[in-house]
Amino acid sequence: MTKDLVTIDRVLELIAAYGALPAAWPEDERAAAIEILKADPDRFAAALDEAYALDTFLETEDIPEPSLALSDAILAHAPKAQAKQQSLLGVLGKLIFPQGARWPAGAALASLMMGLVSGYAYASTGVGYDQADAVYYAAFGGDFETDWLGSE
Amino acid sequence: MSGLSELDQITRAASGDRAAQAALVNRNMPIIFRVAYRMLQDRAEAEDVTQETFLRAWKALPDWQPKAKFSTWACTVALTLCRDRLRNKRPVLMDELPDRVDTALRPEEALASQQALESIDAKLAALPDRQREALSLCALEGMTNIEAAAAMDVSVRALESLLARARRALRAELAGERE
Repeated sequence: MTKDLVTIDRVLELIAAYGALPAAWPEDERAAAIEILKADPDRFAAALDEAYALDTFLETEDIPEPSLALSDAILAHAPKAQAKQQSLLGVLGKLIFPQGARWPAGAALASLMMGLVSGYAYASTGVGYDQADAVYYAAFGGDFETDWLGSE
Repeated sequence: MSGLSELDQITRAASGDRAAQAALVNRNMPIIFRVAYRMLQDRAEAEDVTQETFLRAWKALPDWQPKAKFSTWACTVALTLCRDRLRNKRPVLMDELPDRVDTALRPEEALASQQALESIDAKLAALPDRQREALSLCALEGMTNIEAAAAMDVSVRALESLLARARRALRAELAGERE
């Protein structure tokens, strides 16, 4: 509210709502209200007296202090600081195992991955079948050049 | 810690900085406690509300948006908690009146009761809740009209109306005592 909009009635409203002390009045109206007040102090004397008496009465308020344990109890539930630095391994571990390391599940995952990689390598190249046969026949004395069922 | 802006303090508190957390508590806890005490007129209940307000604050801090001062936000939470408690305390209407018991006070009790009634606490307690909230935040805690209106979720004009009615009621009480 600008100075032009602060009227005598508005100053009376300010006193009625915020009390006698201009410091308690809204900042944007304070200077204009004080000017109006100074221009005709008698006009506002009764309202200011009444308000000041109440302001003084309110200052006598006596509230007990909270117990000393209250701030401790509040701080006990405050957020805890996180660990500041993590190793690269730790960061990777967090990414792979966001729920934390669970070794049986990790080992199963690793086995699955190895099996998939081996299977893919075999399927895509065909290398490996002959080598495996060679190892088998060498171990059990079979004939390399003949079918293992005996047919030529 | 006093050189830090409130937002810095909140950011640090959210990340677990104990000094920032303690500063936030030391600065705001007394206000929240007094506001709650004026509403509930009970120290233990006011402490419960204060603690619950900070529990909510600790959860809210990581996503804190500096739209309002921490104290304004905290007073909004505290007032909401107080209203819930007051609502639960209010007597329910009964179909039948209960049997009356002799409520006559002994002289010393009557005197103590009279003194209590004369105290400012009793006069504040006698005000309607919303008027008491307005007076508590503005006149007794020194909040600006904008902050207090935000904390109460009302317009500034509505706040002024509540303040004027509260002060009028208190003045009438004081005038009645003097007569």
